[in-house]
Amino acid sequence: MTSNLIQNYISTRPTGVINQQTVKKQETPKKPMPDFDIQRELDNRTFIKPLEGKGRLLKGNIFNAPAIMVKDMVYDAKALKHAVSGKANDHELGKLNDFGLFLGGLAIAGYLFTRKQTPMTKGMEFVGLASFLGAMAIWPKIAIQLPAYLIHGVNVQKEYEDSFGRKKPFYQDPQFLPWDLYSEKEIDKMGDRMGVPKDIPNRREFIQEKMKKIGIQNNTLWMLTAGFATPIMSGLICNLAEPYLNRYLDNRNNKAADKILTNLDNYSQKYKNTSLEQDLIKILDANQNKPLTKELEESITSILTRYMDPVTAESFKADLREAAFGKETYKIQDNNVTEIIKNLKEVFKKVPDADEEFLKAVIPDEKSIIDALKGNGTFGKDIKSVEFSSVLDAIKKLVKNNAIAYNNAHPDKQKDINFIRKLVMQNMTKDKNSNPVKIVLAKAGSKILDNNIIGKLKKVVKLIDNFNMKQFALDEYALKKVGAAPETVIANYWNDVSKDLMKTLGFTSEEIKKTRSDRKLMGAVLREKIEHVVSDKNSYNKVMERLVKKIAEINSKIKTSDMSTPLLSSNSASSAYDTIVDSLFDGFAAKLRDPDIGFERTAKAIAGVDRNDVVGTAKELQKTYVRDRLLGVKSSFYRIINTLDMYRRIASDVNSIPALEGKYIEVKEELIELCKIITLEGHSSDHATKFYMMRNPEPDRTMGPVEVKNGKVVNKFFGKTAELTDIPGDKFFYQDAMRLMYEGNMHPDTMQVLKESSIKNEILKYRDMVLEKLGGEEYFVKPRHLIRKANTTGSDTKFLLTGIAPDELIFKTGQQLYNNKKWLKIFGGFGAALLGVTVAAQFFFGKMKTPARTGEKK
Amino acid sequence: MILPINNIKNSINFSADSNPKDKKTLEYDHDTLLPNNPYTYTRIGMDKLTNAFTLYPAKGLKGSKNANFYEFLTMGTVPYLIGSAGLMAVFNLANRFFSPFDKVQASKTGQKMALGVLFYGIAKSLSKQLISRPVNMLTGVDTDRPYAKVIYELPDNINDTDITSIEYHKVFESVEFPRWDLLYGDETKGQKRNYRYDKIAKKLNMGKNLNDSDQETKPRIKEIIVKSSLAKSISSYMWAATGVALAFQQPWEDYFKAMTFKFWKPQEFLKSLNVFGNSFVRSAKNLYKGEGNGVTKHAGKILLGLAVLSSVLGVVNTVAGARKSPKSSDIIKPNEKHVVS
Repeated sequence: MTSNLIQNYISTRPTGVINQQTVKKQETPKKPMPDFDIQRELDNRTFIKPLEGKGRLLKGNIFNAPAIMVKDMVYDAKALKHAVSGKANDHELGKLNDFGLFLGGLAIAGYLFTRKQTPMTKGMEFVGLASFLGAMAIWPKIAIQLPAYLIHGVNVQKEYEDSFGRKKPFYQDPQFLPWDLYSEKEIDKMGDRMGVPKDIPNRREFIQEKMKKIGIQNNTLWMLTAGFATPIMSGLICNLAEPYLNRYLDNRNNKAADKILTNLDNYSQKYKNTSLEQDLIKILDANQNKPLTKELEESITSILTRYMDPVTAESFKADLREAAFGKETYKIQDNNVTEIIKNLKEVFKKVPDADEEFLKAVIPDEKSIIDALKGNGTFGKDIKSVEFSSVLDAIKKLVKNNAIAYNNAHPDKQKDINFIRKLVMQNMTKDKNSNPVKIVLAKAGSKILDNNIIGKLKKVVKLIDNFNMKQFALDEYALKKVGAAPETVIANYWNDVSKDLMKTLGFTSEEIKKTRSDRKLMGAVLREKIEHVVSDKNSYNKVMERLVKKIAEINSKIKTSDMSTPLLSSNSASSAYDTIVDSLFDGFAAKLRDPDIGFERTAKAIAGVDRNDVVGTAKELQKTYVRDRLLGVKSSFYRIINTLDMYRRIASDVNSIPALEGKYIEVKEELIELCKIITLEGHSSDHATKFYMMRNPEPDRTMGPVEVKNGKVVNKFFGKTAELTDIPGDKFFYQDAMRLMYEGNMHPDTMQVLKESSIKNEILKYRDMVLEKLGGEEYFVKPRHLIRKANTTGSDTKFLLTGIAPDELIFKTGQQLYNNKKWLKIFGGFGAALLGVTVAAQFFFGKMKTPARTGEKK
Repeated sequence: MILPINNIKNSINFSADSNPKDKKTLEYDHDTLLPNNPYTYTRIGMDKLTNAFTLYPAKGLKGSKNANFYEFLTMGTVPYLIGSAGLMAVFNLANRFFSPFDKVQASKTGQKMALGVLFYGIAKSLSKQLISRPVNMLTGVDTDRPYAKVIYELPDNINDTDITSIEYHKVFESVEFPRWDLLYGDETKGQKRNYRYDKIAKKLNMGKNLNDSDQETKPRIKEIIVKSSLAKSISSYMWAATGVALAFQQPWEDYFKAMTFKFWKPQEFLKSLNVFGNSFVRSAKNLYKGEGNGVTKHAGKILLGLAVLSSVLGVVNTVAGARKSPKSSDIIKPNEKHVVS
């Protein structure tokens, strides 16, 4: 039973009849206040005055916000401590609910963080949590507190601290408002702001009532609107934060990648945990000087080839068999013979009426088998697997002789000799290698995992580990920079340029909305935009400048000195990446070729026979991946610059383009139309088939200039003939089209913009390469449609040089922009309307009938 | 003198017309302890929900002088429910305008998010039982025990006779002011005055037939209220987070394909329910087993473990403290005299 001091006191109180009986105190404790008489104090309770209140209104501003935040955190921590020991009060428990909400939010963001693949999506999980909590806090500030203050002069979200240091909203409980915390002056000021007449009776009470009413109304409005506002605001905050986070992470990612290349040796230590050495040594130690069985070989091989590509792994396995494990040999010993006899007993049970006597008679004993095998030289010596048949034949012969002898001795129990012979030859189970004799021989490998092999394997694994660590670091560098994954440097660059292109060309939301579902429609708008831009020198220069500047960012994000695209480079110097790859792969191959190791095949698979042998080597693959990714992206954007340039050449001075000289007007018009379509919509397949175009087989023979108006050709003949066909024999038409698109000087306006740009030489080289690689591509249907010497460039290079068609790029980007804008339109619109209604509603709040003024007639 | 509310009989009528037909029939005429069962909770929940969306906003927007803290708190349901629906809408409403491929991709995330919102609410609500039930079982303190409170309001005008309203509270919703009075037995009905406190004392190992079991148990009950409240605050959000994690598992995509709420088409609806069950089980397994490696693989297990741990620790902390043996200094020995110094 716990003590209850009050009860104890009452039971010993020296008043009333019951307590008249005196109790002899056994001890009289010393009183700290000898004159203090509790009875007198209780009887004269009216004299006990309440303590002076310590409550105060809180004045928060941007300067003391951090201090308040820290104070709140300390309060929460204390609340948690009190709650754990069961001593918290209601206010503290309320705070802990907020703490739980925050903790739960962190748990959700943390879990989803682990589920996301990229830094951006991972980061957005926490941005989402912060934006949601932020929206919950911000909405009442901007939609309730601020308008109410501006309209009525009352802070409806005012907070106060009570005498116990508990922070509470002032208007939380309308039945308990601590008005005494407001001074007369403050109340009067707010009354003036609300237009309360100065000469009414009980002015303070009236102002307080009005403030209370405004407080209640705003609290209700807050509750009614917060549910709509919080998710929408949270979404909008995320939308706003996303580009900033993206830019920050892109920068960070790019810098981190650069550090890998400059610090490869140190950075590669990160991949120490990929080391194969430990795993291998475990196996080697466990099997030292034990037979090197096939299973053991496979285990060792699988460890060493764990991170190898399949092609290199095949070469490596062959090297391992020859240069490390050595050739397979077997040695038959006594215990193997015993096992063979046991297997034969098992299979002979299938012979009808096979009794013990029969088995004993037919199965040769150990001695006779050993003698027979010694006789053919297979017992106790290293033999190869091809000699298994000799062993089997010898045993089969013994069995057959025994069976014949048995039949002779037992005329009444004749056995089928052929059946017995087959049993020796057949497999014991469905497994094709389960012959009763061979299955034993296969396990009798005589190779030993000796110290020589172990020594060699240890050397090899060290080399592989060292190579792997650096290769993984290089892979990481390549992935961060140009990987075919979201949020790599090149992916961010692609998205950035694509979106900017839409803005540069002046696509409106309405145009995107109407054409987003059809590539052809969006392509047509794109052509209109380009033709409009190129029709005017100023607009062209403006667009070209912005475009070139944006596209040229690639060379600052991925420096050509770090990663190059040799096809577009006039400089033969290797990039830093290529140099490191060469050094790493060549060095590894050289060490594998070392006579001590002798892994020639693997060395060849990794680095080729020499520096010129590049086809299919691992080294070349490592370099090509990077080059191809860069080439594809650069070609796509350089193609856009070239396209605009061609449109500009046509718009500004079409009749001086060399490719069109000396042609009928109709043919010129056909050529221009084809080139405009191909530059905007063409794929590598269009180049491969040498441009299929429905033309007039008998064009009008009128010569003269082509008319261009506002960037568009005013066609006099083209499109006015009904009988159209492709003309496969006209190689000149193809050649002229290629010239018009890619040959000759670019427009002076373009060159003026490119003059200072880092991409100038690459664009010029790009045009040359298209002419060389695509213009030199042979098509068996149109064998003479060539503009350069026929070549055998691979289709992948031609595909990359063609890049994405501009209309396709715009179509895809347009859809993404539409999605974002649609979302913003729906929810942004709703959010704005909600804010409007919330603010407007407050003009109707706080309406009260003003009491009659002092002296006024009621 | 301020009378306790249950001493006032409900015969107050401020209007001139005392026609009994116009009198409001009150469900309760004094503060009444209610049983803690699903029926009561559903009834209270519906009552509060209806009022939160209708009566209380109407009173609040008018700035009624009778608006109070209870109504403000009850209205908290409005942003909670609308916010949940809003969150679902934010992730789904715009998707139908997207191109087919984008729509499919966006809908996958959107539907999981919507399910996550649903599971968040359900897990948060149900998980509180993981604390209150064991605590009730082991200590006898029903931390969720509801009661109906009769409120007398100020009349809006001279004709306003409807001045009562009912609020639903919990006996232990305030640790500083628990409604101890409601837990006393009604001796007129033959109940022992302290029978509820006796039960608690017995469960708390404080002994039987105590003279003042109410006084003895109250400090411990307060401790139980605080600790269980803390446990509920933390663990309910951890379970809610687990609910969201569960909703983000890949197998739900199968359910979304078969999902229908058209109960008037029984075959499709049953199929949908069946797929729901199946997806639920597979998702739970996925959450536990995880994918990938390292923390990613074990994140689901960790989250689930934290949720379980928060509930278990919450109950243990609540119960262990309450059932501890009293300190020897706390025990009043009958043969010794005590004085207040």
